[in-house]
Amino acid sequence: MRHITKIYPNGVLADNDVTFEVRAGEIHALVGENGAGKSTLMKILYGMERPTSGQIILRGKPVTIHTPHEAIALGIGMVHQNFMLVPSFTIAENIVLGAEPLRGAFVDRRAAIAATTRLAQEYGLSVDPEAVVDAVPVGMRQRVEILKALYRGADVLILDEPTAVLTPQETHELFAAIRQLVNAGKTVIFISHKLREVMEISDRISVMRDARMVGTIDKREADEHLLARMMVGREVFLDIEKPPAQRGPVVLKVRDLEYATEAGVEVLKHVSFNVYAGEILGIAGVEGNGQTELVEVIAGLRAPLGGVIELDGKSIAGLTPREVRRAGVAHIPEDRLTNGVAMTLSIQENLIVDRYAREPFTRGGLMRPAEIARNSEALIEQYAIRAPDGTLPVGSLSGGNMQKVVVARELSSRPKLLIAAQPTRGVDIGATEFMHEQLIKARNAGVAILLVSADLSEVMSLSDRLAVMHDGRIVAIFPDARGLTEEEVGLYMLGTKTMTPAEIERNW
Amino acid sequence: MQATLPTAPAFDRAAERARVQQERRRSAMIDFSVTLGTIALALLVGFLVMLIVGKDPLLAYSSLLSGPLSRSNRTGRWIEDATTLIILGLSVSIPFRARQFSLGAQGQMFIAAMIAAVVAIYLPMPPVVAVLLPLAAAMVVGFLVGLLPGLMKAYLNANEIVSTLMLNAVIVLLYDFLLTNVFTPPGSQSLRSELIQPNSMLLRLTAIFGVNLGRANLAVLFVAILVIAVWALLNRTPFGYEIRTIGANEKFARYGGINTRRTIALSFAIGGAIAAVAGAHLVLGVHQRLIPGIAAGLGFEGIVVALLARNNPLFIPITGVFYSYLRVGGDIMEQEAAVGAEIVQVIQAVIILLLTAQVLVDYVKARSRRARSVSCAA
Repeated sequence: MRHITKIYPNGVLADNDVTFEVRAGEIHALVGENGAGKSTLMKILYGMERPTSGQIILRGKPVTIHTPHEAIALGIGMVHQNFMLVPSFTIAENIVLGAEPLRGAFVDRRAAIAATTRLAQEYGLSVDPEAVVDAVPVGMRQRVEILKALYRGADVLILDEPTAVLTPQETHELFAAIRQLVNAGKTVIFISHKLREVMEISDRISVMRDARMVGTIDKREADEHLLARMMVGREVFLDIEKPPAQRGPVVLKVRDLEYATEAGVEVLKHVSFNVYAGEILGIAGVEGNGQTELVEVIAGLRAPLGGVIELDGKSIAGLTPREVRRAGVAHIPEDRLTNGVAMTLSIQENLIVDRYAREPFTRGGLMRPAEIARNSEALIEQYAIRAPDGTLPVGSLSGGNMQKVVVARELSSRPKLLIAAQPTRGVDIGATEFMHEQLIKARNAGVAILLVSADLSEVMSLSDRLAVMHDGRIVAIFPDARGLTEEEVGLYMLGTKTMTPAEIERNW
Repeated sequence: MQATLPTAPAFDRAAERARVQQERRRSAMIDFSVTLGTIALALLVGFLVMLIVGKDPLLAYSSLLSGPLSRSNRTGRWIEDATTLIILGLSVSIPFRARQFSLGAQGQMFIAAMIAAVVAIYLPMPPVVAVLLPLAAAMVVGFLVGLLPGLMKAYLNANEIVSTLMLNAVIVLLYDFLLTNVFTPPGSQSLRSELIQPNSMLLRLTAIFGVNLGRANLAVLFVAILVIAVWALLNRTPFGYEIRTIGANEKFARYGGINTRRTIALSFAIGGAIAAVAGAHLVLGVHQRLIPGIAAGLGFEGIVVALLARNNPLFIPITGVFYSYLRVGGDIMEQEAAVGAEIVQVIQAVIILLLTAQVLVDYVKARSRRARSVSCAA
């Protein structure tokens, strides 16, 4: 890809004169922060976007790729971050979808199953061809996506953040499969911002920053620090340093908490734990094991079915979100850009959603614009939010600065308990660093922090104590998160190991 | 490989702020010129349609565009119509700002007209009270009639478009029934109620200025107060903040601790109370009695006025005045140029289509930004 420039109709310059070369048969990692232009570059290669200018050369010949169909015809396949599978179809049906083997006018199901089995064996990607996609784990769905691309004859495979949804064990399996693909002569482009994985899997690494290609280096010449510096443009501290926890009294007490969806599915099963002042309790677990519901029940966004939730000894179970907030709970939500901000409201207005009706923002039934502006100026300054003006809509800020708006609001409410759900999901290195700093600062100031994260290395390095959730239960609580290995925690995440109830209770 | 690592450029807040302000001015200019362009385009479409059907477009347009100003009583009609439409636009803008598509203004106006008339006809009252009491009674009923679909939406998740339209049908038919069987005095030649008591009649502008301004009345002065009140409600009260936040992102509002159900239900109800003011205006100011179809079709014109103003109460007077001008001009065109009012409806429809297509405005803005960045680079 030579001199690719892409300007979106809204004026965003996504790629600026980017040149990117991949050699046949290599594993090439493409790294960069969110918004650096990696995804746009790959969408151009896969025909989903057209470049404003520039040229794509494939096997020595210039080509134009205007649709994914053309990309597939040229042997380019892409596995998206969000899988594009039909949940109610079987794996074999999904793999052949769009290029089905036919017998007369009907899909030849037996041939589809045979083709799937053959491909799966050839590349070491084990799947059950007759299972329905809805019923299989995420790791297998991803293998289905890869097989689907291979079935269409892909020689070049683009994997967009493939490990984001995987457990450590599943990641290992994926990497083994990627190596086997390369041995079979395929070329893999691996998009990521997890540097450790990049160092593990790739042959060469290209780094993008601010819509430009910073450079391409051989893995042998690279290390995590150099890559991080290339991505961010300055020195970053990957290791989290924190003073030992000064653990105070119990702030949040959860006992036998139960929750079921409207459809009657039990999501939380007798969940019990404490969070103490001045500590970070991490909750690790594969997504979808009840963490989201746990957070939302505590925050008052869902009503519990039973059990105890106490903050400083007072029950907060079943209160409204406002009452829970009044009691001293702050909440950095999981999906911050959907739930944590209102894009079209101003920064000022976003910063007061939990306190607009109180002094000093409202007096005598009228809101006071001067106070609202003062609050926003102070927080913009304190949290270094890059915003020219508090009256601008939050939607005009970059993703990282929107996150800062959420953090600024939640921390400035002076909470006793801070719930941080997936605080660095979809966040780049710079913003991750900021988020970690803020969490540790709050902890050192005596706030009790409940940290829920699917990023195992993050939750392990930030937490003082670590709990693991599996299938709606707490299956382990480790009194000291230091010295644990990811593999060990991974076994609990998958439900292969559980602590006894007595052991867990000892560590509440 | 030794990558050069430029340090992140310092964030110059003052310069950024100046840039943003310039951007805002530019954006407002584009909004304004797109609006004017749209109107011109719509008139052009109407022109072509008239040419095709063999009418004289010049004659038609001269009566459309100068009609409302050609005689004082026509101007009066314009003032009267604008008054009603502005109040209605304000009414609709409140639930719309909370992203609740309440279409109940139509029914709310009918029932409010009826309540105002009942009080103003049958309950003897001293001056001033004779205006305020029917108005207050109408507003209370409008509030309750709005609250019903609001509660149904907020607590039962009943689709508000369906519930408000159904409620409109019920109310309008009830109105017809009561007008025919109860309010029309026995032996009356035509289907209409008695006149309201003189104390309840809003003073007509004709009596003040000594020129014939038709049925335009004092209510027009009240409109200014209402505009400011609705603006302040939306922009200066916690309730308005709740409405706007829900409209911007309901999940966020709930997460932040806003009682979204209560606010949503109230947004319908307050819209209903304001629509009732428009209904009371029709009785106390315009017709001075109940007539068949007293508010027919008006509810939807109010929606147009609010949409054209992008639900901004400060723009609603402008769009209301503009839109009623077109409506009155259209009637006059029909009389003078024998061009059906359908042409006016064509023009109105084109304007609405183009202006409500926010995409168009965004497209123009993006193009102009690109053009500028190219010229900077050159």
